[in-house]
Amino acid sequence: MIRFEGTSKSFGSIEALAPLDLEIRDGEWLGVFGRNGSGKTTLLRLLVGLSQPTSGHIRIDGTIPGPEDWRAFRRSLGFMPERVSLFDNLSGEKTLRYFARLKQVDQAEVMPILEKVGLAEAARRKTSEYSKGMRQRLNLAQALLGDPKFLVLDEPIEGLDAHGVRDFFELLKAVTGRTVVFSSHRLPLISRVVDRICILSQGKVNALGTEDELYEKVNLPVRIVIHPRRDKAQALTAAVNQLDFASLVSQNGRLVVSVAQKDKLQFLSELLSLGPEMHDIRIEEPSLEEVLLETT
Amino acid sequence: MKRPDAVWAIARKELSERLRNRWIWTVSVLVLAATIAIAFFSATPVGVVGAHGGGAILASILNLAVYLVPLLALVMGAGAIIDEKRRGLLDLVLTYPVSSGEYFLGTFIGYALALGIALVTSFVPTGIVLSATTGVDIQQYALLVVLVLALGTSFLALSFLISILSRDPARGVATSVLVWILAVFVFDLVLVGILVGFGGQIPETAFGVMLLLNPTDVFRLIAFTWVGSAASPLGLATVSPPFPAAMLVSVLVLWAVVPLWLSHRLFQKRLAMDKLI
Repeated sequence: MIRFEGTSKSFGSIEALAPLDLEIRDGEWLGVFGRNGSGKTTLLRLLVGLSQPTSGHIRIDGTIPGPEDWRAFRRSLGFMPERVSLFDNLSGEKTLRYFARLKQVDQAEVMPILEKVGLAEAARRKTSEYSKGMRQRLNLAQALLGDPKFLVLDEPIEGLDAHGVRDFFELLKAVTGRTVVFSSHRLPLISRVVDRICILSQGKVNALGTEDELYEKVNLPVRIVIHPRRDKAQALTAAVNQLDFASLVSQNGRLVVSVAQKDKLQFLSELLSLGPEMHDIRIEEPSLEEVLLETT
Repeated sequence: MKRPDAVWAIARKELSERLRNRWIWTVSVLVLAATIAIAFFSATPVGVVGAHGGGAILASILNLAVYLVPLLALVMGAGAIIDEKRRGLLDLVLTYPVSSGEYFLGTFIGYALALGIALVTSFVPTGIVLSATTGVDIQQYALLVVLVLALGTSFLALSFLISILSRDPARGVATSVLVWILAVFVFDLVLVGILVGFGGQIPETAFGVMLLLNPTDVFRLIAFTWVGSAASPLGLATVSPPFPAAMLVSVLVLWAVVPLWLSHRLFQKRLAMDKLI
């Protein structure tokens, strides 16, 4: 288990990360979200020991790590940085062999990992000939070397198209039983796979919890789109306006009503009791993008 | 140093990357062509055979080395470490069980090996030709090659310091070229100016100590000690007091060790402060 205890990071007078208390549980998948400059990368750099905290500390399995503890921790760590330009002159296989030597991982592991990420056939090609998606997979492959129990992925799907994102998640499905920390600003895509979500804004944790807990905390209203019958629009508008827990947002041949989550069922019940005034209803729950916007 | 295997792995990777650089091989071939040309033109007109003629050839080759070896070493190391930082590789490597000291040492060894291979390629074939066709003493020539390697290593260490100070590969190259001009051309001109300014009334030892402040002059002093009176092209080295060879060699080694130590300290400090670039 990893704990941030009052951990902060400043660069001169700029506070990149405000004092933070955060616990990353063994085996959980944590998504760290926020806009550019929100402190995601700073948090991850602290987590892997690339930066030292300005105040507070990080505790790994109950210990504040010294240099040798970091070395031991890094044997069980896989890190996939956001921006890395791997060696253009080396093949994918040679690149991975180099990292295997650094991690003291058996060279026999190299080809199976390249197979796992779908690069076995391109193993002997120079990485300069790789596509963006292939480079991303090679980047993931180096992070998977040595079967790390702790994976830190900084913006792993940045720059990938829809197919690339799908392939990346397919690969990750094979990763089980590890603690995984993602950072991304594409919340809806990552939220499917993480257990908990941490939303950062201007270096501060704005929200932390499961997807459901975030919805509950933010409590964004549900939107209900009503398509009235042609001759019933006025009557229906008047009826909806009488329901004091609902607010009519717009009217453009249809009624868009904003209703608090707690009033959703009551509103629907009363709406249906109005009789056959409408020919369709659509319920739009707030998206995670809206949750992210609301909290940052 | 806990992991010599990691140091070696990094050194091998750096060596492999450096040797794929065409620029290094271009310069090496040019140096080789120049040394062979010197050997040819020095020997042909007088039909040199014997120690005196061999010494003159060696002095000419040493003079060529004074200009080109520092340039090769400085430009080669100008982007060292900083370039990896910019590419994100340094950060990635440091998330592995490798200390920053091991990374630094491995990188320097890799660069030094690549420079060594380039220099051996440049100078050794000429030595073989010279030993077969002229009176050049092959042992003396081998010492020359060792001396050239030491000169290259000291300038490589300087280039690491420049690279970390400049924080940018392009700025590093520009600064390296400036340092090369200062070391190879300007420094001696300044010394000559001082000598003239004082009407030649500078104590010999003080003048000699000033020469030690420039690794190219230390190189020249050692070469002068070895090659002797035939080395008249070696400039100011010929007017220095006769320092013991061991002391001169130690100073040249210090010219490699001190900049390397300083660059390592600076590297560690800036790394800790997230201010490497």
